[in-house]
Amino acid sequence: MDKDETILVVDDNHDNVEILQTFLESRGYRVAAATDGKAALAKLDEVHPALVLLDVMMPGMDGWQVCRTIKNHPDFSTVRVVMVTAKGGFEDKFEGMRSGADDYVVKPVDLNELAEKVRRNLEARLKA
Amino acid sequence: MKILARVQDAGLLEEVTAAANDLGAELIVIGGGPNGNDQQLFDALRTHPGLLFVEAVVGGNLPRMRAETRARGIGLVAACGSQREIQRVLEVGVDEWILLPSSVSELASRFQAAMRRRREGDHPDATSRAAEHLRYEELLYDRFTGFPTLSVMIDRGRDMLERAGRLTILYIEFVRYSKLEEIYGWQKLDEVLQTTANAVRVFYDSQREKEESLVMVSHTGDDDFIFFTDLQAIPAEVERRVNQIVEDLEAHIRTQLDETHGEDIAGLFSIYVGATTIFRNPKIRTERLIYRGIREAAQAARSVEHRERSRKVTDLKTMLREGAVEIEFHPIVVTDTQEVYGYEALARGGIKGMRSPEVMFGVAEEANLIWELSRLCRQRAIEGIPTHLNSEQYLFLNIDPHDFRDPTFRYLDMEELGIDHPERIVLEITERTAITDYPAFQEYLKVFREQGFRFAVDDAGSGYAGLGSIANLSPDFIKLDISLISGIDTNFMKQNLVETMVNFANDNGIKVIAEGVEREDEYETVKSLGCHFTQGFLFHQPRFMTQPTQPAGH
Repeated sequence: MDKDETILVVDDNHDNVEILQTFLESRGYRVAAATDGKAALAKLDEVHPALVLLDVMMPGMDGWQVCRTIKNHPDFSTVRVVMVTAKGGFEDKFEGMRSGADDYVVKPVDLNELAEKVRRNLEARLKA
Repeated sequence: MKILARVQDAGLLEEVTAAANDLGAELIVIGGGPNGNDQQLFDALRTHPGLLFVEAVVGGNLPRMRAETRARGIGLVAACGSQREIQRVLEVGVDEWILLPSSVSELASRFQAAMRRRREGDHPDATSRAAEHLRYEELLYDRFTGFPTLSVMIDRGRDMLERAGRLTILYIEFVRYSKLEEIYGWQKLDEVLQTTANAVRVFYDSQREKEESLVMVSHTGDDDFIFFTDLQAIPAEVERRVNQIVEDLEAHIRTQLDETHGEDIAGLFSIYVGATTIFRNPKIRTERLIYRGIREAAQAARSVEHRERSRKVTDLKTMLREGAVEIEFHPIVVTDTQEVYGYEALARGGIKGMRSPEVMFGVAEEANLIWELSRLCRQRAIEGIPTHLNSEQYLFLNIDPHDFRDPTFRYLDMEELGIDHPERIVLEITERTAITDYPAFQEYLKVFREQGFRFAVDDAGSGYAGLGSIANLSPDFIKLDISLISGIDTNFMKQNLVETMVNFANDNGIKVIAEGVEREDEYETVKSLGCHFTQGFLFHQPRFMTQPTQPAGH
């Protein structure tokens, strides 16, 4: 698998960003970060990530809105979006599905599970 | 959020488009002609964009742009090609300026900065005359479309009537299928109305170039539009010209709706145009003349509408009389073995313009013929059993909650229904229809169940009922909505949802049908997730009743 791909981590909590960034970099991915929805959208154009790890609960534009914007954008509709959510309820998953999200991980994030989900989404991206 | 841009340079326009996209904003471009486009720009400002972007070299009345954007809290950004231009835009007091050439990311961040500054920054002086003037103007222009309201129209109409002695009024009635919001949501309706308003605006601008005398367009707040024109043609020509304008306008709106929203949604809208011409009469007050003219034009539009509707109702009655309904039989297969388990019967109208089930049932509902149409569709589907199904296969029939109020259906006159084996029939009830009275509905279902009928909840997951409501109906089948299945092979979110629904179904003794399976990979995925049955174009093209066919499975 080509690990030379960029993952964009979006979370308003700096500590979370740092943990995810360090972990993913240790796995050989290139990582970019943003701390709110609008910055994330600006970053998209700059780094052209293969996957976005997107926190749901953020001030301003929430994760669902950001996801919808990414998926509706002709240039970025194939970018994989993995939601990071505190709630794993049925209704939340529906909201995720309607926003066009590809996958989700539940907080607190199990890093091994995260690595597996990142891997399978990057793989699915090549297939889709 | 909306960004209004007046740009001439093609390269810059491309960058602005990309920047707007990045910000998730809708971009409206106002042409940069040398003159005359200011009015269009100021009209568009009334629709409350978040930002106005101008290329300084295009010119126009910058001070007025600044005053109006400031009063409305709209950000103003100017792109400059020289130091002199920068000096000029700084004097005017723009929120942000850019020296060309620029980049997409610079544009995006300037846009954001300007809007932020506008939001947080200086608010218009409440007592200033400019602000007061604008507040009044707000009342005179429709906030949604930016078109003038009737009071402004009357004023300009009076001028035209006095100048030309004659005024033609076009009334454009815009009618939507009543269930549109229920099925697609109000956001969709808003989008469609916006498309229509834009189409009317573009048409109006292009007409004005050809035809100086076509002047005004107004939005009545009721999704209708009014045009005034004092066509300078000779009287005999006027009617032909008006008909031509009406025809062009209708065609233009239709094309825009089709292109933007697809035929299915566009088909749910109708446009009716009525026209009337009034003449100056010194004995009657001009305003009264104009109001009367508008009323007449609106009545003319409505009578076109009534004619159209009654034509459709006549079509429907003809269909009912001749039994002109076609049934498509869509196979439902056992996921593991791909054996045909049963067929879903889908009805289509047999007359042009009535093919879509939504239109056909919509007309029937308005004409109070819904039971008759449902009966015909059921009857035709049931008639197809011997020729399309073998003795082990099931017929899936769509049922509307209305049908339970139909005496012939409700009291289960099996003979009249033509049903010999109710145990071979599965009644599908869509999750999209809000069921308001659950206890009564469950009572109906009980009676049917005792006779041997089985039930499916259709379109499950489309968003209206949760799993709890589905459980309340204790169906035999859950049919998963197409939106859950389409692309499921690469979407883990959908996979997870379907897995949850399959587990829920297994716990409750319900079978799951995956609908809308079109690709092999989707099939493999729903199979691995444990969906018991599968339906979709992957397996069989639908077969029409009109085609001679062998009973399935032989």
